[in-house]
Amino acid sequence: MTDFSRRQILAAGIATMGTLAMPGVLRAQTGPIKLGTLTPLTGAGGAYGPRMVTVVKAVADEINHAGGVLGRELVIISEDDQTNPEAGLRAARKLIDVDQVSAIMGTWASSVTTAVAPVCWQSGVFLATVSGADSITLLPHQGFLIRTQPNTTLQGRKFGEFALSVGARHVAFVTPQTPFTDSQYESMSKAIAAAGGTTSKLVYDDKKTTLRTEVDQVLRGKPDAIVMGGYTTDTAVLVRDLYRADYKGSLLGFGYAVNKQLVDALPPDVSEGIYTISPSAAEGSTGFKRVTELLGGQSPDTYSCQIYDHINLIVMAMAAGKGTTGTVIKDYIRSVAQDGGERAESALQGLKIISAGRKVDYNGASGPCDFNEVGDITDAKFRYEQVKGGAIKLLKIA
Amino acid sequence: MLQAVLQAIVNGIVSGTLLAIPALGFSAMFAVLRFPNFAIGALATIGAYAAWVVNVQWGWSIPLSLAVAFVVAGAVGVGVEFAALERLGSGGALVKAIGSLAMAMVLENVVRFIFGNDVQAYNLPLARDMVFGPVRIGPEDLTNLAFAVAIMAAIWAFMSFSTLGRCMRAVADNADLARLKGVNPRLIALVTVAVGCGLAGIGGTLIGLSTSIDPLVGGRILLSVFAAAVLGGLGSIAGAVAGAFVIGIVEELTVLAISPAYRLAVGFVVILIVLTFRPSGLLGSKAS
Repeated sequence: MTDFSRRQILAAGIATMGTLAMPGVLRAQTGPIKLGTLTPLTGAGGAYGPRMVTVVKAVADEINHAGGVLGRELVIISEDDQTNPEAGLRAARKLIDVDQVSAIMGTWASSVTTAVAPVCWQSGVFLATVSGADSITLLPHQGFLIRTQPNTTLQGRKFGEFALSVGARHVAFVTPQTPFTDSQYESMSKAIAAAGGTTSKLVYDDKKTTLRTEVDQVLRGKPDAIVMGGYTTDTAVLVRDLYRADYKGSLLGFGYAVNKQLVDALPPDVSEGIYTISPSAAEGSTGFKRVTELLGGQSPDTYSCQIYDHINLIVMAMAAGKGTTGTVIKDYIRSVAQDGGERAESALQGLKIISAGRKVDYNGASGPCDFNEVGDITDAKFRYEQVKGGAIKLLKIA
Repeated sequence: MLQAVLQAIVNGIVSGTLLAIPALGFSAMFAVLRFPNFAIGALATIGAYAAWVVNVQWGWSIPLSLAVAFVVAGAVGVGVEFAALERLGSGGALVKAIGSLAMAMVLENVVRFIFGNDVQAYNLPLARDMVFGPVRIGPEDLTNLAFAVAIMAAIWAFMSFSTLGRCMRAVADNADLARLKGVNPRLIALVTVAVGCGLAGIGGTLIGLSTSIDPLVGGRILLSVFAAAVLGGLGSIAGAVAGAFVIGIVEELTVLAISPAYRLAVGFVVILIVLTFRPSGLLGSKAS
């Protein structure tokens, strides 16, 4: 008779459990590849999130139809970040812990991305975002993050230069507190100061029902241009109160705040003349046309174009790295995005090139999609528009 | 500087008027039902959207739209009380308060589901402000002020002179004694909810008239309304109005003195100071 020691029984038990667990592990390697979208379906960004999800799902369907990635089906799990960091973090935890996605795409508000990013890099999940705050790519993300939106320093400089070009000498920046308020103001001020102009800043509470006193405060400085840094809802309040106060100078806003919604919600004489600046999608590119088709012919906004690029890049990185984890995506995303190779404008084209053993250089719907070492895009164009007669008219793309 | 302070006070009165009506409804409901009904933010949103539908899509006038806001928000409020909150009664005030918060989220999402997230505005031209000496005020703010004062007067008359109003005050004072006198406290509770939620609906519409509406329009003012009601003395109707004006003016003066970002903090510091010296609020009776 053989006596088993407790240690032997324990070892045998672990070995048995390990064997039992193996089919599960194998199954995980052959089952569907899960990717998450974390976009604002509600809250201040609620106008953009649903369209972003539509685009991602349509691209995934297309790829699945053509045989999937590495022979496996793509499954998209969509969560709502409610344009709110707490809700975004909860949803990200669900995507990572419960659904076990390899990558999360589309976080929109900078506050949400800032909250979600650490959970992603700690869990080895790749994050592709459309948020602009400079601080995001400065996080210690170990390469697990890229963004397709130009950072706010660049955007701030463009606002400053444009304000000067419309003849402004004293520019007021009126904004709620956001993660990019300071960096944007600083780079805008630098551009204006270089041309001998001056700037001032007022931070308001975006939950107030009236901004009259704030407007009075700003107008006491007699600015000849005001840059509005808020989102649609509070910008609507600000524009109305500026009109009431009989402000006659130039108004500049972000394209995501001064949008069709805002213009429709204001009487035409109130919104007349507002300038908007926004990162421009690569209009005329194959990717841009494809996103237009996927959205049923609607002209796509830059975020729909950017998330189209996210899924294409992630899928191609997985194919190039022959793996589906966040780490593989991190290691291979630049190899399919830049540094020359055969040009691809969709994942379907890219997958064919990769399977033929050649290198891909992706050019997307939002632009060339080349990233520096911290994950910022290296080249971006901006779209300058103006509200005229209750509609937003394009001035230039530069 | 004096001009800036004067202007801030005028602006504070304007925003206080917008807070006063929902604060009044909130306080009236607290007086009778003895729990803070946090669904009023969402009900303000529902009222605002009901008014928007009849004003923009059906072309009804603003006074008629305000009446619709009152009726729809009141009806939805009664529905919520009847279907959900009343059943939580045995759990006490805290459970009902939490239930009302949950219902607020449900209602807000229903609005979002039906109307979407877009910012909407009423069919109302925007006029430049009128200047009176050192201060300026918008014509629609004056109209809103007039509406709000008329509504407050009507509520005061209703509470003072109508049998239903007197019954409401009786139940608020002592529910058992009122029952002995033949008053049905449940019916009175539902009437109070209808009136209170209806007032929240009007408040939401008035805010929408001076700004714009979206599914969060009511949620954004919830804290300020709560602050106004607590400051005035929970359960005191005149107190709610006084509290709303104090909160409105303090919030505007904050902008001049320190950063507007501290608006809510300053509001709550004022509450802290007032409640330290008058624990039952500005005009509240001694807590029983």
